[in-house]
Amino acid sequence: MSPGPADDLGYKPLDGGWGWVVVFGAHISIGFAYSTSKALSIFFKAIQDDLGASYSEAAWISSIMLAAMYAGGPVSSVLVDRFGSRPVVIVGGLLCGVSMAIASVGSSIIYIYFFIGIIGGFGLALNLNASLTIISKYFLVKRPLANGLAMAGSPVFLCLLAPLNQFLLDSFGWRGSLLILGGLILNCCVAGALMRPVIPPSKPSSGSPQKMVEEQPKKRKTKLKESCMKTAKFLDLSFFKDRGFVIYLIGNMMFIFGAYGPIVFLSAYAIDQGVEEYSAAYLLTIMGFVDMIVRPGTGLVASSKWIRPRIQYFFSFAMVFNGTCHLLCPLLKSYVLLVVYAVFFGISFGMVFALIFECLMDLMGSQRFPSAVGLVTIIECIPMLLGPPAAGLLVDIFDDYKYLFFMCGSVITAGGLFLFVMNIYNYHMLEKEKEKEAKDTLQNQKTVETQGQAGVLEAEMKHTPEAALERTEPEAKDKNGAQRAPRQEDAETPN
Amino acid sequence: MKLLWAVSALLLSCWRADASTAANIVANPPEVSNQTYAVLTCNLTDNLAIKGSYWVHNGKIIEDSKSTDTSPYITHTLEKITHTSGGKYECVFLTEPQVNQTIEVKTLPHVYAYKHSEHGNEKDKGVLVCMSHGYPLPTNWNWYKGDDEDQEPIINGTSDKYEIRSTPNKTTLTINDLSIENDIGDYICSGTNELGTNKDKIHLRVRSRLAALWPFLGIVAEVIILVTIIFIYEKRRKPDEVNDGMYTMKSNSTANHKDKNVRQRNSN
Repeated sequence: MSPGPADDLGYKPLDGGWGWVVVFGAHISIGFAYSTSKALSIFFKAIQDDLGASYSEAAWISSIMLAAMYAGGPVSSVLVDRFGSRPVVIVGGLLCGVSMAIASVGSSIIYIYFFIGIIGGFGLALNLNASLTIISKYFLVKRPLANGLAMAGSPVFLCLLAPLNQFLLDSFGWRGSLLILGGLILNCCVAGALMRPVIPPSKPSSGSPQKMVEEQPKKRKTKLKESCMKTAKFLDLSFFKDRGFVIYLIGNMMFIFGAYGPIVFLSAYAIDQGVEEYSAAYLLTIMGFVDMIVRPGTGLVASSKWIRPRIQYFFSFAMVFNGTCHLLCPLLKSYVLLVVYAVFFGISFGMVFALIFECLMDLMGSQRFPSAVGLVTIIECIPMLLGPPAAGLLVDIFDDYKYLFFMCGSVITAGGLFLFVMNIYNYHMLEKEKEKEAKDTLQNQKTVETQGQAGVLEAEMKHTPEAALERTEPEAKDKNGAQRAPRQEDAETPN
Repeated sequence: MKLLWAVSALLLSCWRADASTAANIVANPPEVSNQTYAVLTCNLTDNLAIKGSYWVHNGKIIEDSKSTDTSPYITHTLEKITHTSGGKYECVFLTEPQVNQTIEVKTLPHVYAYKHSEHGNEKDKGVLVCMSHGYPLPTNWNWYKGDDEDQEPIINGTSDKYEIRSTPNKTTLTINDLSIENDIGDYICSGTNELGTNKDKIHLRVRSRLAALWPFLGIVAEVIILVTIIFIYEKRRKPDEVNDGMYTMKSNSTANHKDKNVRQRNSN
């Protein structure tokens, strides 16, 4: 149950100090990335009226932005690998902020699709990927906590941006609001400036024998060469050979498919149950507040020594918890019970999102994480774009919200259970592979040592003439002895 | 024989139906107009078995008025008649079959602005909305521009500038091509029904196009200043402290790690 290849950084990360400033920067960056597309929905009515668009045409702005944010992942990975996090976040912030400002003078909805949706979304993609990567460079022991704190940016900024956007809309109209919002997003450049690049030491740590010192730099040099070659590709499909990665990807896709449907339809469902409009909107606010607190809390819990080695199981538990909440929702009819549901929804949602990237870091290790997260986000585009419309379709066909919750809840719970079972299998296979590796290395070591010993003994034997006749025999005897010894070792290692 | 039975049953049911439609309920007053207090009464003059009665307001049953009293004379008191308590009142007697009578309670229209202060952007269009509740709903809507003293009526269709769209419970005034000099000010919407007129006032503010530019430039300046400060701070801290702060070597003694670095580099 040990963590994956997480410690291939080659140095011991800071786990504190300037790292917390970096977490603050990542918090801002991730906050804008996730909440901007949702907060833009406040402007839709004004944009519809002004540009003569329909409701679904306006809603496409958010969808395009979110899709571009996830689809830009692989490009972002390549850039982060090449240039480091800081320049990428600064460029991302500039792209998104400037595109919003340009969009504010737009005269058609297509213009807005292009500037806010595609370019703005791409800028946010750069932000997201780079922020997650820099956390993995600065933290190892406290990494779940750092991840939880950074991911908490999403609900915090959503709670801040929603009323701010309403105020801006009332004061300046939608065009002025977009301009000012673009300016606010430029603050991501400040966040990026805080992300000081980590310069790893050129030599390994002291205390290791001379041979190992020589071998390790060679190994690292070859590793660096390989990773440079890999990052030259945009989509590194060799990740699909990694069992842990594929398991994570399938589980995540199932989660994302079911995750956003309930959020989109919660207030509509509440109104359907007879709750009044303001109270129904309040449900989402409650969920957001709970989410805000739970994400760092989950990070703290996941950093503890009991949970950290079993973090993948904790993640699958969070997913099953979330799915169960949705399955129970149709049974809750009164407003008080719906508030309770919103609280538990917030808790489980926060838990999953606090761990979602931490688990990927845990599986992939810091070196491979940027490319992995790029691949994951571009594949997650599909369930994310299909989920809410599929949920909406269910509502339209059956004219009842409960089937939506059943569908989302069952998909998420199935995903959680799948992750749980497959992780048990994965860890079991990993242990077997480790044992095999250990056996092989021990065998190699023994043959090297005994060959050395045999050489020394030969040199000694040469000086005694009687032993000259027996030259072949001692060698054979030694060889036998050498062969017997590893076999004895073999007998010991299976335990 | 069967045919005779069927015909007589048919005649009987018709007679009974006639009897129910001919049921006389005397409603007093027949109509309430522009009063602040009224007592609605219904008197069932036919001799039908009454199991109870209740009142209905605008299609919704008034819970407090439900009674199992068998009296043919029921009342409902309206203490203070406002636009919310106006509407169609029905007294319903629980007889076989049920009978009812309607009394209309009419009030002045309640006219209110959707938002009392509206904003518009220069050269954009401004939309002012007034709504109404009550019974009966206004049949006529009018818009005026100006203060309480002098008001100019706005007439629909005379110019491209103004557009009025009205339904009984809502009226919308759209002003195209807003200008800061001409269009800022108060607008009055007035709704008229058979009893009278009521009005409300909306204040329109027109913002110049560049209004949002100043906050934007302010934020950009703040971003540039912060980024500059951060980079200067970092340049000042280099070269000694920055690298130390980045990572810690795996060795235990942090005090000597610089020396060890040097040693290792020199050894190779």
